[in-house]
Amino acid sequence: MKISTKRRVTDALVSIVAIAIGLIIIFPVVYCILGAFKTPAEFMSPKLLPNSFGYLENFKNALHQAPMFRYMLNSLIMALSGTIIRLVFAVCAAYGLTHFEFKAKNFCFLLILGTMMMPGDTLLVTNYQTVSQLGLLNTYMGMIIVSLVSASQMFMLRQKFLAIPKDLRHAAMIDGCGDIRYILTILIPICKPVLTTLFVQSFITLWNAYLWPLIVTASSPDMRTIMVGITKLNSWEDTNYELVLAGVTISLIPSFILFVIMRRNMTKGGTDGALVG
Amino acid sequence: MESNTVQDKQFRQKLPVPSTENEKVTHKLKTQKTLKIIAFMAPIMIFAILFVYYPFIKTMINSLCAVNDKGEILRFVGLENFKYVFGRSDFEKALKNSLLITLINVPCTLILTISLARLATKKRRLSPVYETMFTLPMSISMSAACMIFKSMFSPTLGFINAFFGLDLGWFESRDTALYTCLILTIWMGIGFDFLLFQSAFRAIPQQVTEAADLDGAGFFTRLFKIEVPLISSTIFYVLCTNTVLAMMTSGPMIIITQGGPSRSTTTLMYMMFASGYGSSNYSLAAVVSLVAFVLTFGFTVLSLIFERKKVHYQ
Repeated sequence: MKISTKRRVTDALVSIVAIAIGLIIIFPVVYCILGAFKTPAEFMSPKLLPNSFGYLENFKNALHQAPMFRYMLNSLIMALSGTIIRLVFAVCAAYGLTHFEFKAKNFCFLLILGTMMMPGDTLLVTNYQTVSQLGLLNTYMGMIIVSLVSASQMFMLRQKFLAIPKDLRHAAMIDGCGDIRYILTILIPICKPVLTTLFVQSFITLWNAYLWPLIVTASSPDMRTIMVGITKLNSWEDTNYELVLAGVTISLIPSFILFVIMRRNMTKGGTDGALVG
Repeated sequence: MESNTVQDKQFRQKLPVPSTENEKVTHKLKTQKTLKIIAFMAPIMIFAILFVYYPFIKTMINSLCAVNDKGEILRFVGLENFKYVFGRSDFEKALKNSLLITLINVPCTLILTISLARLATKKRRLSPVYETMFTLPMSISMSAACMIFKSMFSPTLGFINAFFGLDLGWFESRDTALYTCLILTIWMGIGFDFLLFQSAFRAIPQQVTEAADLDGAGFFTRLFKIEVPLISSTIFYVLCTNTVLAMMTSGPMIIITQGGPSRSTTTLMYMMFASGYGSSNYSLAAVVSLVAFVLTFGFTVLSLIFERKKVHYQ
């Protein structure tokens, strides 16, 4: 009895401490959302809370100053198409590596895994030259083209494919099922949990990408992604921070939605939907 | 269903093969299989070569050659570029800054996230609340975080100076800019590392910790003698990946400080960005990125090794 009360008190105390630390950690985000509702005069005072949440001028101005919805659309096109192509490539490669026997198999595998050894940032300048020579500057293709290879995704899928009995494929082949149809109707449904996780992860990475979209779309403001767009809302001289924070708040909405999906995915774990049959 | 039966028929029709044509058919099947393999493997291989291996080799070649501002190679100059870059004071400053960032960022992130994960190991009623709070920075992009911090740490209008009654320049002062960037990068790294450590702590079998309790081990003995050794692969993994990431820090510099004030926040990757993309000095950019690559390569390899070893919770 005594021990359980003591334990309960410790639990409560730890929870309070954890939440206090948590509040410090999320403070910048809270600050950003509150700041977006402040009038310029309120922003000058050190008060944290705005007087009311009815002041929406900042959002209007942010949308007026830059085509935020166009930027969002650009981001969406980039993240979605990049993620889909990346996953298709990874699925194809993982399938090729697990379901066929060929001489250069190990070489191919190592060549793909080797891309993980090269930090993307160091290749930035040369990739920029290549993309500009291909005439892909300021295009969606140019924005996604450098991020289509994901060795870690290929590796995850390969591990998953290896766990699926080969008999399944033989049975399907005997029933007259081709490779593409086998992938689409059997492998993908089996691997749906893993694929969802990979999809969300990759979407978030591409959605949040900054450096590459910045340099590829430098000469065409209309092609900017939302993450590039919000940094152009002010300069050092013009300290209109409440406007910037309104822009950032708009850009955070999709990020939060993705965050909730990601967390739900994580708590569910990638283990359900195992092999049936 | 219907398409199934149609395919069945086609399959059966193909089955009877005259024995004289056997060789021809196996040959045909073989080429078909090769074509299939090529079709499956080609896309990822082509892009890996074109956008990872080719630029890497090109960077190496550029570092040994004189390159004009259009990116055309003029002539081979050997190690001249390296000599030139290593002698520059801004390179020395950038290297020092990158190393300083790594030396501060990596231990701080480790201690912070391990403490948070230990605090949140046990499942409590309020766990989902504070776990969400700890992982929230994960969802914020570098540029959004930069804009928020820039506003929060603004010397005149920012909340931090007003709240704590300080008069610091933060991003705008030569002495504090680098440390302010560090606060930002550490904050951004909290979420993911916290998750890794939390699942590592939770994967420790209960018998082990209970046995330690029975033997009368105190909290710190238990933590340092039992739990930390048990999660050591995760610790090494985080250590290595964070070292690579910290050496490559460039986001806050590109978005907020532009490497300044007076070069106090110029890092290797910022220097590469500024010299390669900004002023089209491709050989200088190539040398700087090769230096960053060499400095981090060992840690990259180690992180890949530890990743296989660490506890997978899903």
